Amino acid sequence: MPTVSVNLLDLQGLLGRDPSASTPEQIETLLPLVKGELKDWDSASGELRIELQDSNRPDLWCVEGIARQIRLKRTTAAPAYPFFAEGERPKRKVVVAPGLAEVRPYLAACTAVGYRMTDAGLAQLIQTQEKLADIFGHKRRTVSIGIYRLNQIVFPVSYTLVGPDEARFAPLGFSEKLTLREILNVHPKGQDYGGILAGHERLPLLRDAEGQILSFPPIINSQQIGEVVPGDDALFVEVTGTDHRMVVLTLNILAVNLADRGATIQPVLVEYPTDTELGQAVRTPRDFGRCHSIPAGAIESALGETLDAAQIRQALQSYGYELGPEPDPLSVKLPPYRNDLMHLVDVVEDVAISRGYGSFTPVMPSQFTVGSLSPLEECADRVRDLMVGMGFQEIMSNILSSRADLIDRMRLTGSEWDRLVEVDNVMVQTYASLRHGLLPSLLRVEESSSRAFYPHRIFEVGEAGLPDPGAELGSRTVTMLAGLVAHAKANFSEIHSCLDLLMFYLGCAYTLTPSSHPSFLDGRVGRIEVDGNPLGYIGEVHPEVLEQWQVLMPCAAFELELDPLLKRE
Amino acid sequence: MAHVDPSAMLDSLHPLEVKVLTAFTKTLEKGPLREEHIAQASGLEPSQLNMAVEWLLAKGLIRVESETLTPIASLTKIGERYFEKYSPIERILSTVRGADRTGKRLTIGELQAKEELGPTEVSSAIGCLKKEGALRVVPGGFVEATGMPSPTAEALRGALKDLHGTPRDLASFPEATRAVIERYSVKRGNANEPFRIDDHVQRHYGLSDNGQTAAAMLAREGPPQDVSPLTPELLKDGAWRGVRFRKYTISLRPPRVSMGRRHPYREFLDLVKRKLVSMGFQEMRGPLVETEFWNMDALFMPQFHPARNIHDVYFVKEPTHATPVAEPFLSRVAAAHQNGGTTGSTGWRYTYDRERARRLVLRSQGTAVSARTLAATPQIPGKYFSIARCFRYDHVDATHASDFFQIEGIVLAHDINFKILLGLLDLFAREVAQAKESKFLPAYFPFTEPSVELHVKHPRLGWIELGGAGLFRPEVTKPLGVDVPVIAWGLGLDRMAMVALGLHDIRDLFSPDLDRIRTTPGRF
Repeated sequence: MPTVSVNLLDLQGLLGRDPSASTPEQIETLLPLVKGELKDWDSASGELRIELQDSNRPDLWCVEGIARQIRLKRTTAAPAYPFFAEGERPKRKVVVAPGLAEVRPYLAACTAVGYRMTDAGLAQLIQTQEKLADIFGHKRRTVSIGIYRLNQIVFPVSYTLVGPDEARFAPLGFSEKLTLREILNVHPKGQDYGGILAGHERLPLLRDAEGQILSFPPIINSQQIGEVVPGDDALFVEVTGTDHRMVVLTLNILAVNLADRGATIQPVLVEYPTDTELGQAVRTPRDFGRCHSIPAGAIESALGETLDAAQIRQALQSYGYELGPEPDPLSVKLPPYRNDLMHLVDVVEDVAISRGYGSFTPVMPSQFTVGSLSPLEECADRVRDLMVGMGFQEIMSNILSSRADLIDRMRLTGSEWDRLVEVDNVMVQTYASLRHGLLPSLLRVEESSSRAFYPHRIFEVGEAGLPDPGAELGSRTVTMLAGLVAHAKANFSEIHSCLDLLMFYLGCAYTLTPSSHPSFLDGRVGRIEVDGNPLGYIGEVHPEVLEQWQVLMPCAAFELELDPLLKRE
Repeated sequence: MAHVDPSAMLDSLHPLEVKVLTAFTKTLEKGPLREEHIAQASGLEPSQLNMAVEWLLAKGLIRVESETLTPIASLTKIGERYFEKYSPIERILSTVRGADRTGKRLTIGELQAKEELGPTEVSSAIGCLKKEGALRVVPGGFVEATGMPSPTAEALRGALKDLHGTPRDLASFPEATRAVIERYSVKRGNANEPFRIDDHVQRHYGLSDNGQTAAAMLAREGPPQDVSPLTPELLKDGAWRGVRFRKYTISLRPPRVSMGRRHPYREFLDLVKRKLVSMGFQEMRGPLVETEFWNMDALFMPQFHPARNIHDVYFVKEPTHATPVAEPFLSRVAAAHQNGGTTGSTGWRYTYDRERARRLVLRSQGTAVSARTLAATPQIPGKYFSIARCFRYDHVDATHASDFFQIEGIVLAHDINFKILLGLLDLFAREVAQAKESKFLPAYFPFTEPSVELHVKHPRLGWIELGGAGLFRPEVTKPLGVDVPVIAWGLGLDRMAMVALGLHDIRDLFSPDLDRIRTTPGRF
């Protein structure tokens, strides 16, 4: 979800100085139209920060797009973007060389003339370029953008491949010339984005008819042609990438944005060596949206609101849709700067947003259903009640933990209990494994609570993950209970009494088998078994474990799985 | 204190209190007593005496007649060491005088090295001796004795000798010595001094009117026969009838006990759970470890979605992949992603990676549980919820936990539409958040359309986002075999829980601090 900075004056200008959409408060009430939220605003600088929620609407991630959507709703006059219409053959072209299909196949481009770049306009253009390439373009992998001074370029431009040492130019931020290899190694952008080109022996390059280098996509522009400054009034805009529709859509957005600021957009012809989904010679910007036929009744029933065809038509038109003449079924088409219509339901939502969610009267669900807890939760609740009745305080802990806490400090290294469900992309070691037992969680409480008055009687009922190579998911999620007593005279007999009483009320005949478990003191530990199946362990916590947790009070504890109890019933 | 029945008062006296009151009657004519006199007359140990005096003060039987503060001087550990080995001032003076006698001259640096003193100790000692005229520093940095005496050094020696082993009233020292003791005593910010001065509080206690009555009755009737506990023996033979039971002072603070209790956060979740069950929701559960298929693919999040990479989701190390995902779900979901399949959608138009569908992750959203429920022939009409532990690749801080609960669910019925979705959210706002005002805003989730955010007016926090919801996209429901509209909803209740529990850090929901858990009341 991108957050964009918007200058209030700039936004007011793009809104046509509409007096009822002028203050930040007024603008905030209009932001639901763009799924936007005003995060904050600085009255001194006039800067508004707006978060845009819809990751399928990159056209809204900029002040021009926000203003366009609001303007549509308030004027209903759709902006004219004549450059999308198929007209005469574009004067300028870009020729794509063979071989790019393997590296970075697609390009779209246009020119924008007659809008003198202002500071605010340039700041927005740079921000839009960054947001589109970073979020929509997956950090430039699928889409990246270059903007240049048009007057210095001699057409046709070629989009070609060269060896890493075959071309040299001064990249943005550098005064000396570097080879492409040097840019990848030395330039900050080369270091950031070089990975996109990893494995390719020949690299993409944009060069004009006289051999001047425009840029090394998707890494960096040339300092000379590729640095736009306030005052420039003729631009060449290009987008390269790996997804043809995304590349063209990105250019469409940039073109309408510049057109909204007053620029005249002229299309560019992109010639591919072989045929593409959109043809071999593709004129860009290009409206590749198609018409969808939608029965008004489907919209009505999805919304639960009686609407006539005219109301639906009105809602869609004032949201930017292009509509065919038929009243029903409606023929709808998205404007060229959008490409997010996958299903009828997307149109339904736009009707609802256009009319305003507040205009719908909520209707209570009327179907009768019976509520219930899962058998496991019923069992967990009953166990909690019984433990509370025996004077135990419930604990709730994180499930993510560390090998150090779960294995090392529990003396389990090398034992049959030393396998864990571990995280591959660890962020911090503290949260790198799912717990496979609850006893470490209770010992963590003891470690942190030596100043809480004794006796301590604590328990937790919660989930854990046990590695299980035979299971569908390679592990099993189990619900466990652990109880622990800590005080100067805590011993096996006391915790045994608690377990015994618990099992009595759960109606569960169990046996304790003398056993050994590294976390407990030898000779004072038993395996809890029901119907011959092991359920867990009970014993006096091993002094070495206590030492590891820096607990200076004797502890006796038990731990068992609850799921098997359920299956018995 | 209000008038009380002195005989009732007498019955409630603890044996220690009786001893103290008796001590007053023994010495009644001499007026107010000092603590040591009470101790003498009652024969009580200091700790017992303190307790009894506290109780009697609380009952209003005795009162503090006067209070005097006496400054008492004593030696610190440093002072005791100075007594044995002399203070820096004394040592420097005597070393310089000794050197002068042998014709040797010492610099400040040499003095410091010879006496193994710190630079500040040396400079402050020399400063003091220079000021008094006992030493001088001559060109070349040499220190010489002048032959003049040092009153400070002499007073120090006297005070060290007098206070060695026995603290004394500061007032008992002559003026000059007193000044030296005060100057070299421990103060805030300077603990390295030889003396300390403590204010000793001396109280004189006297009997109040009630106390005099009680003491007189005690003298007349003797102490009550004190039977504190009622024993089985007394009950067995009826002997309790002839026994007087001491009356307790019930206004004293009781000793602490601990109790068994649900965790306060659990109490909050239980409340939510009860509300949902009462509204007809069935609980569903799912595994902590999930495949990317159920966690994301089935929810129509494209495999290239930016929130699916290693910076958002925890991947499992071993094994990395699950067994093949069950059919027909895998093929149907793959088709929905690629070209929409039979869902009426265009799909995301990319090549779906079936291998990636098996990749194991830690469940990152509770909606995964809903997806599994949709595929398992749910009831129609049906309402489901889960309180599912979820994991996100986030830096843990006051607002991000490593793992947390998501409260989510679904509603399936033939007649569901957008207005019923709003009706359900309205119900949540009133039932779960007890909110009187709520509003709906457009939202975006990859798996719902239309999508809504529910905002409610919280009595303390103002407008907050309570949850998100929407109608599942057909690309989600149809491949899982569900042909009716489905509401998907989620509630973000941790903020409400934190307010109810008085917490400011989300990590404290799972705090290991037993004292904090015991003392958090949890009022919802």
